[in-house]
Amino acid sequence: MTTGARPSDYPPPFAAREFVGEPTDPVDERIEVGILIIGAGPAGLACAIRIGQLIEEQPELAERLGDVPVAVVEKGKQPGSHLLSGAVVNPRSLQRLFGGRYRIADMPSYGPVHGEAVYMLTRRAALRIPPPPTMRNHGNVVFSLSRLGRWLGERAEEGGATILPETTASKLLVSHGRVVGVRTGDKGRGRAGEALGNLEPGSDLVAKVTVLAEGTQGHLTGVAIDHFGLHGAEPQVWELGVKEVWKVAKPLDHIVHTLGWPLRTAKKYREFGGSFVYPMGDDMLTIGMVVGLDYRDADLSVHDLLQELKTHPKMRSMLEGGERVAWGAKTIPSGGFHSLPSSLHAPGLLLCGDGVGMVNIPTLKGVHYAIESGRLAAEAAVAALQPGSTPATSLGSYDAAVRDSFIWSDLHEVRDMRQVFGRGFVVGGALASAMTVSKGRIELGKLPAEPDADQPLLRSGRAASYPAPDGVLTFDKLSSVFASGNKTRDDQPNHIRVEQRVARDVAELWAHMCPAQVYEVGAEHDDGTVTVQLAPSNCVQCGAITAKGGRLTPPEGGSGPEYTLT
Amino acid sequence: MSVLVFLEHHGDELQKGSLGVLAKAASLGQGDVSAVLAGGGVTALAAEAGSYGAATVYVADDASFEPPLPQPRVDVLAKVIRDGGFDTVLFANSVLAADIASGLAARLDAGLNWDLADIAVESDALVGKRPALQDTVFVDVGWRSTPRLAIFRAGSFDATPTGGGAPKVETVTVDLEPYSAAAKVVGQEHEEASGPSVEDADIVVAGGRGLGAPESFALAENLARALGGAVGATRAVVDAGWYPYSAQIGQTGKMVSPKLYVALGISGAIQHKVGMQNSSVIVAINKDANAPIFEFSDLGVVGDVHEIVPKLTELVNQRKGA
Repeated sequence: MTTGARPSDYPPPFAAREFVGEPTDPVDERIEVGILIIGAGPAGLACAIRIGQLIEEQPELAERLGDVPVAVVEKGKQPGSHLLSGAVVNPRSLQRLFGGRYRIADMPSYGPVHGEAVYMLTRRAALRIPPPPTMRNHGNVVFSLSRLGRWLGERAEEGGATILPETTASKLLVSHGRVVGVRTGDKGRGRAGEALGNLEPGSDLVAKVTVLAEGTQGHLTGVAIDHFGLHGAEPQVWELGVKEVWKVAKPLDHIVHTLGWPLRTAKKYREFGGSFVYPMGDDMLTIGMVVGLDYRDADLSVHDLLQELKTHPKMRSMLEGGERVAWGAKTIPSGGFHSLPSSLHAPGLLLCGDGVGMVNIPTLKGVHYAIESGRLAAEAAVAALQPGSTPATSLGSYDAAVRDSFIWSDLHEVRDMRQVFGRGFVVGGALASAMTVSKGRIELGKLPAEPDADQPLLRSGRAASYPAPDGVLTFDKLSSVFASGNKTRDDQPNHIRVEQRVARDVAELWAHMCPAQVYEVGAEHDDGTVTVQLAPSNCVQCGAITAKGGRLTPPEGGSGPEYTLT
Repeated sequence: MSVLVFLEHHGDELQKGSLGVLAKAASLGQGDVSAVLAGGGVTALAAEAGSYGAATVYVADDASFEPPLPQPRVDVLAKVIRDGGFDTVLFANSVLAADIASGLAARLDAGLNWDLADIAVESDALVGKRPALQDTVFVDVGWRSTPRLAIFRAGSFDATPTGGGAPKVETVTVDLEPYSAAAKVVGQEHEEASGPSVEDADIVVAGGRGLGAPESFALAENLARALGGAVGATRAVVDAGWYPYSAQIGQTGKMVSPKLYVALGISGAIQHKVGMQNSSVIVAINKDANAPIFEFSDLGVVGDVHEIVPKLTELVNQRKGA
């Protein structure tokens, strides 16, 4: 039954200008740092590490950067707490960043990929197919991004960076048209925003250069793109990934990708995605499901599709006798080349990594682009601080460096691949193969991309057929939130901006979409709309709501999941 | 091994949690166990500690210890540990105990193991058991140096008298460090409560969304009154504004381990379970036969709380009257 309501019919109560302003702390109370990095993920930490190396090479630079040359603001409990990825990582950026000082073998990886298999699934069968050219992973390395983040955090601190965990960057400080830092979020406010006994107000962190490396759905990245008018040729779109880590009886010796079931191939559903299973050493593996958020079925739940996937004989046999030890969810920007911002810098500001959508969806890779962009941002920021340069005007070298890098050429090569899947799975798959084989030389003409929230909704009733959780192989959402380590304080202000009275289908969409059970469909009104009830402390900050008609803002610092193995 | 247990008291009552830790320490069979108590007019409380296994109780009895502040107690413990040569110091978790233990760890440069659920002596080594990965496994933890400090989770051990006799009472006098006297208590507010607090109660009647409406919490309150217990609530109903946060039981609320836990209209999400799974007897009443709570309740009743609970309350009242 098609109703055609769109999430974008109910825009969230949110305006970028709420989160842009002049510094407000008295001058002597502002915290001054040299280069300020927002986000301790691969991009931000690579940036901090590279600046540390440059300071080592040019000691006079330290003087120019002041008492705190580099600060990294991180909203999670520690670097890695909010990091989640597959992750099969192309090691080239890590190798380049450390230049032999550390080898891949020194890092906390689960070793190189030793073979791979791609399956087309049906409900009961698995047909092995040759890996598409983009999905060949020889030479790549399996990581837990959360663990890699912790390790990179240690390296950044070794290089002199100051990491400020449990701190959110809530507001972009702009003075005379130039970014001069961020204001950190308050801690210790009650549900209505009232001051509690332990209120710690935020502070103004001012810097010569601010680097936003916030990752997917970055709060201030979105604000900066709006404020400085940096929107790309096409709107950004996202996919939602949900994954689990399992302790298993027998090790897996190769990586697995699947296409097909439990996703439906009919064009009207727009279900683009697949699953992955990666080995994590002798006794663990990770299994995940990724689905494009341009889907239309309000009954679709990636969390529950992953539960369904695990009941497939192929998956069940890998998990038999095992135990789930971790769970998490995160969005992945998937617009690719056409959705990159028109510029990656603004006065005083640089933008990196997933926040601006440096992800190659056909190859399922982004970590190495994040690291490379962080490294290039470090070099541009430092160059802008040389005598004769000013950070207000000379950060453009970063855009030039990204354009000359493999980030640009890789993303250009696959630029139209994601969009073709809007034509249905089979046609899309054929076109994607043709593009790969031709190394991107086929011009299809640019395909229109619509924001995920513009897709008209339909209801298929499939929610009734998700497997009932048994607590062993399959789980309910609240158990999953628990396994994410999330124990967020319940009585803090709501950080999720959504219209709270919407068409029933939109409310159902959010309730099913959210892997952490934040949204519930409440009472119906006379005009047929319903109230959306929120449980914001369940939120694992995956960002799906921003793609589908709402807006995620940062909760109190230190809230959210505490990922360690994802 | 020489073990010292910190005894916390409220008014003229020793806290059950710390007596439980004391009883556990005595049961390790590693020689005499001592306890330490600091407050104003608390010497009389020392005798009770004997029946939970304390051979000696060190008492710092002075008006300056009356306010429940951590730093003066750090001074007391530091002195007792040094003078008595204690190598192991155990605490039952509370806000005060957590402050004292961390202050002591800093003062003595000692290792502190946090959130332990059990302790044992294995091959002559003291081993702490700490729940990890959201309580799905126990991790063995040790200490690299002495003294070894440990804090146990609320409800880890039963406060069962061991039948020991009167302890030796040693008076402790301490010159407070200047910074230890810097904090003052300017006032204490106590929350109005009609019955026992939900954490201390032997019986807890908790309500969830299955009650249907905030008014229905009267069912839980009436049953709790009849049983002489306290009322608890799930996060969902606290979120919905049906009941105050102070009654919330679960991962982000209170951890309880009463003798009897009655769950009314509670589905049993794991976030709630971790807050009450150590209850001795769990009784659940829920309409939904598939509710997870029935997997870990001792007695499960599938039915409507609105019909069952009033009758149950009446029966309890009759039984009490009889």
